[in-house]
Amino acid sequence: MITLYDYELSGNCYKLRLQMSFLGIDYKTVPVDFYPGREHKSEWFLKLNPLGQLPVIEDEGLILRDAQAILVYLASKYDPSGTWYPRDNPALLGEISQWLAFADGITSTASAARLHDALFYDFDIDAARAGAHRLFRILDEHLWFGEQQGRNWICSASHPTIADIACFPYIILSEEGGVPRQDYPAIRRWCDRVKRIKGFTVMSGVFPAGPGKIAA
Amino acid sequence: MLEEARSRWHPIAAAHDLPFRHVFHGQLLGREFAVWRADDGYVNIWENRCLHRGVRLSIGINDGRELKCQYHGWRYSNRTAGCTYIPAHPADAPARTITNRTFPAVERYGLVWSSEEPRGEVPEIAGLAEGKLLALRGIAVNAPADKVVERLRAYRFQPNGAIDGEGADILVEAAQDFAVALRSRASSAETQGVFFVQPVDSNRSVIRGVLDQEAEGAARIAILRHHNERLSKLRDEVERDVANAPAPAPLEPVYERVSAELAEMPEVTTHGRKAALRVSVARKWQAADGIAGFELRPIKGILPTFQPGAHIDVHMPNGEIRQYSITNGPGETDSFTIGVKLERDSKGGSKCMHETVREGDVLAISEPRNNFPLRRDAIKTLFVAGGIGITPLLAMAQALKNQELAHELHYFAQGEEHLAFADRLKHLGDALKPHLGLSPDATGAELRQLLAGYRNGMHLYICGPGPMLEAARKIAAEQGWPDSAVHFEYFKNTNKIDDSSSFEVALARSCVTLQVPAGKTIMQVMRESGIDVPSSCEQGACGTCVATLIEGEPDHQDVYLNDAERKAGTKIMTCVSRAKSARLVLDI
Repeated sequence: MITLYDYELSGNCYKLRLQMSFLGIDYKTVPVDFYPGREHKSEWFLKLNPLGQLPVIEDEGLILRDAQAILVYLASKYDPSGTWYPRDNPALLGEISQWLAFADGITSTASAARLHDALFYDFDIDAARAGAHRLFRILDEHLWFGEQQGRNWICSASHPTIADIACFPYIILSEEGGVPRQDYPAIRRWCDRVKRIKGFTVMSGVFPAGPGKIAA
Repeated sequence: MLEEARSRWHPIAAAHDLPFRHVFHGQLLGREFAVWRADDGYVNIWENRCLHRGVRLSIGINDGRELKCQYHGWRYSNRTAGCTYIPAHPADAPARTITNRTFPAVERYGLVWSSEEPRGEVPEIAGLAEGKLLALRGIAVNAPADKVVERLRAYRFQPNGAIDGEGADILVEAAQDFAVALRSRASSAETQGVFFVQPVDSNRSVIRGVLDQEAEGAARIAILRHHNERLSKLRDEVERDVANAPAPAPLEPVYERVSAELAEMPEVTTHGRKAALRVSVARKWQAADGIAGFELRPIKGILPTFQPGAHIDVHMPNGEIRQYSITNGPGETDSFTIGVKLERDSKGGSKCMHETVREGDVLAISEPRNNFPLRRDAIKTLFVAGGIGITPLLAMAQALKNQELAHELHYFAQGEEHLAFADRLKHLGDALKPHLGLSPDATGAELRQLLAGYRNGMHLYICGPGPMLEAARKIAAEQGWPDSAVHFEYFKNTNKIDDSSSFEVALARSCVTLQVPAGKTIMQVMRESGIDVPSSCEQGACGTCVATLIEGEPDHQDVYLNDAERKAGTKIMTCVSRAKSARLVLDI
């Protein structure tokens, strides 16, 4: 069984919990006391990941770090529908990688702002928030034009991909870092759509959506 | 300028910002809004805070009929913004007065308009014809509205027909405090664009542009991108302009205090049942054999909030007053639908409704009152309806259906043609279990079967003719249902009222002691002394006039209280019940 080295409040760990829930994969977790225990910098954890970062998974002897990398691995191995990471569609894979990198940008801005506000990290909070807003403007515009063209998800496919999973957690948690999403209505609607994917699961600070309207 | 702006209409969202089952987070002049479209299309613009703990309703759940707060699950109704359910008080109907503040909403030019204190109507814009417009992507700008308007006067764009060209002539057709109308011309192509600037806060705005021509397919996207690109550039320029100036302080919205009408005790009045609302009969139809359906619409304004199980008093042209349950589902707040069965021995109530009242007639009705509240914390809810007893239970079943809570509606009727409100019943799907044409004995057998298997956490609601209701209560008790899980509502009290006793009633709060002689009710004596008590049916069936009993032995003659409540001896219906002891002390 897959082991997830997990911290409940981590958005990066939540990406994997979300994906495994979407895919219906069984897994067990090993809680890592990120705050205040700093267990991710402990000797035993640095052996798993010398970068001292969560999340890490262990699957049949393979140890893998980095949320985005693990999303790629899990989707490639465990998604029989092949839609979350369509290996035979180069254009789409390119798009997905592009937005996985974008998700890293969200982590270094929106997530940093949240670490500053919630867990007292010594970051430049103004720069972190301004960076998050810059990215949110880009994503809101991208999603708005997507809606206008009948596209619901971040990449140009008729179904969600791991790019949606990678971007979702630190966007939905952005208010905890003082980054409101009021100016990004298309992002807010996309968040509703992500929450309505079958198998969606919540974490602290993330609320479920109600059922969508069934077309008459 | 911003003070004056409060009395104007401003766009606060694009129509496409409000898909079904979504809550848009809006703001105007510092005041935040939760904006949501109900499944019936109605756009609600509300103060963005739950009346309970102040949590933003924009993170709540729009279920198509009601908005549910994420924090403690308070539910607010479409249109009225009245609270319909408080999960922490499952056995109580929330007071009608718990109502969030609403703001006017008008959809026009592909935009949603609102205002804090509007004077006049939404402005008519010359050249913008409804239905042939193209609403652009709203551009949020971190700058004051006047600075944005200033820049917009010099905004340059290509007309729709020459979107790939350059250097179109721009004519400023009109420029106001919060809008600029521009006309772009390039050879034969011409497009008018109206750019409204929504003053979000002292230092934040949204540009909401509308073009006077629609376009299709790729051309449409090209036009939208053209403006998005140029308006984004304009945004960056304005933001650079204001970056070095100190930002004005954010506007402080004034939160409305609870109105005096709601905060203070009402004046003492001596008259009895009130009918504060005027409605017109928008539709009258045969809802089933012998049952007339009436759709009652307000003459002006909107109807008050109702909860499932609530009833209204209908004051009829012949002077009679009758109670009818509201059959509406949650959030259906544009009209009240009631069902009236023609009683063979009608004393003038149902006969008048069937024979005299017609479509277009005006009726006086009371505010909805709910003495038959629905719990929504049951593991499963059973409804048992007999005949016209369907009406309150239909409202309840629709509420549970909407929240996807487990329930069954057992509907006993003489035949298919007696099943009322077929359209609403159809919506309930498999939860509806009709039982047709059964004899009293067969009904009893059926009830025994469906009431078997009581588990802790189940609740039963019964409404129907007296004998059936008695039988159902008796069978439920035999099958192990506790009184606290069995809820019922009688149409009327068929007990013969014995009003021969005389006794003393002390009203503890009012510091008044009254003598109730034979032939008069406690309620009558209180009213004669200027003490107002709410009432509805005045025959011991509806529960409106319930009073808390502090001392004395009551002589219950109503059909509202259940056996456990009777034994507890802490409640009394002042319209029919009396005293066995020489004195009663009431908490009035």
